[in-house]
Amino acid sequence: MNNIKLTVSHAPFWHDGDSLFQMNLNIMIATLPVVIFAIIQFGAPAFGVLSLSLSSAMIWELIMNLVSKKRISIGDLNSAVIGLLFGMMLPATSPWWLIVTGTFVAVVLGKMIFGGIGSNPFNPTLVGMAFLMLSWKVFFDFDAAYVNYDFDFTALAPLAALKLQGAAAVTDLFPLGDLIMGRQVGAIGATFGLGLIIGGIYLILRGYIRWEISVSFILGIIVTAYCFKLANPEIYAGPMIHLFSGYTLMGAFFLATEHSSSPANRIPMFIYGFCAALMIILMRNIGVYADGTVLAILLLNLVNPLIDTIRPKTLGKGGNNA
Amino acid sequence: MIKRSFFTLTQPRLNYDLVEPDPKEPTSIPIPTDLILLLNEPIDSTKDTLIKKGNKVEKGEKLYLYADSTEYTISPVAGTISSLDVYSDNLGNRSTSLVIKSNQAQSDSITYDLKETIASADEYLRTLPGAPPLERLASDDNEINTLVITCGDTDLLSTTNQYVALKFLNDIKKGVQVLKTITTATKVYVTVPENSPLQGGLEPLQVFKTSMAYPSNLPAMVLKNHLNLVLPAGKTPEDMGVCFIAAEAVVSLAKAYQTKSAGFEKIVTIIDKQGNQHRAKATIGTPLRNIFNAFSIQVSEQDRIIIGGPMKGFATFTLEHPVQPDMDMVMIQDREDIPEISDTPCINCGKCLQTCPVNIPVNILVRYLEAAQYEEAADKYDLEACIECGLCAYVCTARIPIFQYIQLGKHELFKLRADA
Repeated sequence: MNNIKLTVSHAPFWHDGDSLFQMNLNIMIATLPVVIFAIIQFGAPAFGVLSLSLSSAMIWELIMNLVSKKRISIGDLNSAVIGLLFGMMLPATSPWWLIVTGTFVAVVLGKMIFGGIGSNPFNPTLVGMAFLMLSWKVFFDFDAAYVNYDFDFTALAPLAALKLQGAAAVTDLFPLGDLIMGRQVGAIGATFGLGLIIGGIYLILRGYIRWEISVSFILGIIVTAYCFKLANPEIYAGPMIHLFSGYTLMGAFFLATEHSSSPANRIPMFIYGFCAALMIILMRNIGVYADGTVLAILLLNLVNPLIDTIRPKTLGKGGNNA
Repeated sequence: MIKRSFFTLTQPRLNYDLVEPDPKEPTSIPIPTDLILLLNEPIDSTKDTLIKKGNKVEKGEKLYLYADSTEYTISPVAGTISSLDVYSDNLGNRSTSLVIKSNQAQSDSITYDLKETIASADEYLRTLPGAPPLERLASDDNEINTLVITCGDTDLLSTTNQYVALKFLNDIKKGVQVLKTITTATKVYVTVPENSPLQGGLEPLQVFKTSMAYPSNLPAMVLKNHLNLVLPAGKTPEDMGVCFIAAEAVVSLAKAYQTKSAGFEKIVTIIDKQGNQHRAKATIGTPLRNIFNAFSIQVSEQDRIIIGGPMKGFATFTLEHPVQPDMDMVMIQDREDIPEISDTPCINCGKCLQTCPVNIPVNILVRYLEAAQYEEAADKYDLEACIECGLCAYVCTARIPIFQYIQLGKHELFKLRADA
């Protein structure tokens, strides 16, 4: 009798074929329109920043894997996504040490010390970003960063200008078409609004990010900014400037939607997205920061476990303690 | 294997397979020389077994392991017992496997003194093809007032029950009459898949049309969608007075009452490596090897043999696994097609929450289960409400074996409570 060895494992014996590698690869594909546009607009320095950021993030994870004697996990591309998004949030002229330090904080302090993928309470990219913004504020002055560039559009960072001069003075400088088509000064991956929207819609249709967060986030920006504008149109700009400048659209499609730091139930997703957007506009209009996206999303990451307890009642569960 | 579609804005939709409108006769598998029977009672080395190596058995003879046993099996052939061994399933439950050498002579089955009571049916007919839940019906624990005859199959790809229902419609009606006489049930319903070729002909029974989308045929979903009953966490449908019986069981019950003897021919849906469907008629106890040989299906090293279905079934470790009364389908998966699983932690993507038919917070539950916190998992995160459809593990991006964790959790919880 030929006794062959069979594979024995547990049901279900099928899988829909999705994997972390697929998911992260698709997120990277979704950034392509913006990345290609940025390299055309800002040239080789942008390419350098993105490459160094992506590779250093992966190397930091590899080092942490080796130090902690764990299975090498960079193959799931999670660090690559963190690095890529990190690079997209920097000005094209960032020095190399800034990038390497930032990805260290993002990957090591933001993700690996909590136990790696899935265990991070905060979006790792934003942890790294917040660290840099508080430590080396001067490198995030986009007006200074692009002083040697010669643009054929208003070479003025919209949000900083808004903060300094008020809405009435700057609204005409930034026509909506320019903002959407990336004719503005800003971080590498945050200027091309149309590209970000295309990437975001791609991810939503593929099911890799949750539309509830993105939609409520954008809705939150529009509603809150509109309310401020109604209160005082001289100082506060309208929703469109806020939506298409700074990190807003990156936040809506790539940052707020990071899985482990955002809610997974439907109602909490709406609350999370809307409140993050509300905080952004509050920070921009009342706070001291020109762009509050980073800190606003981090703040909502903090309350995420609390709001994610609002969940539908399980079928068959007694009582109303859902 | 059904893969994720390119655009997946909504949850996945896995559809049940339908039986072809005019199915041809299933391939008959000849009775093998060695049949294997599983007896749901472990061997106790301190006691003397009634069944001994070399004993002669008749076709239809009831076999008990010990004089005081309540569990029995019935020999499907006349022959000699050639060995007695321990068999343990994938949760470590131990039972006994008997090998019977068939003497190949055609012989008639023993006839029983079948009375029209549930106790009498339970005494002789527990191992009928389709596995009628007679033991449950005969027990005094719960009064069963509703019977649901399922003419659909619970797992994907299987069409066994649909085939039997389509072919033996009259026997189903007779079987229902038998059930009405022998049980206390007052209401009898039939579930039929909505696009099934079986349309009409079941009157005056009330028919529920079940959706084609998995898991609509699972008992908890039938209760919810058609009887407006919510299955409380940790309870079985029988606790609520509802008993589910497969169409095949009803048919074999009708035949058994007609002939006063037990039937042993089980219909099995076979899915080969290419995903093609075959249908076989095999005697209970036939090793799977014989069935694969009959369809010239080559089984090689590290392939996976799945019994029961791709979502809820179990994998066997041996080609000698016998056909059992409740084995509706067997599929074989090539080693290249076996999806990888991983030990990556949950990334909280929420796909399991979207797909769970009973709204269990799977993303939190799995964290507790990974940490072996079974009691918290049951108290706070509804471990026991799981209806075991397997969809969470099917969609999991991190490829966590969630369903395995859930079953392990339930098993451990049961042990914890038994010890307490």
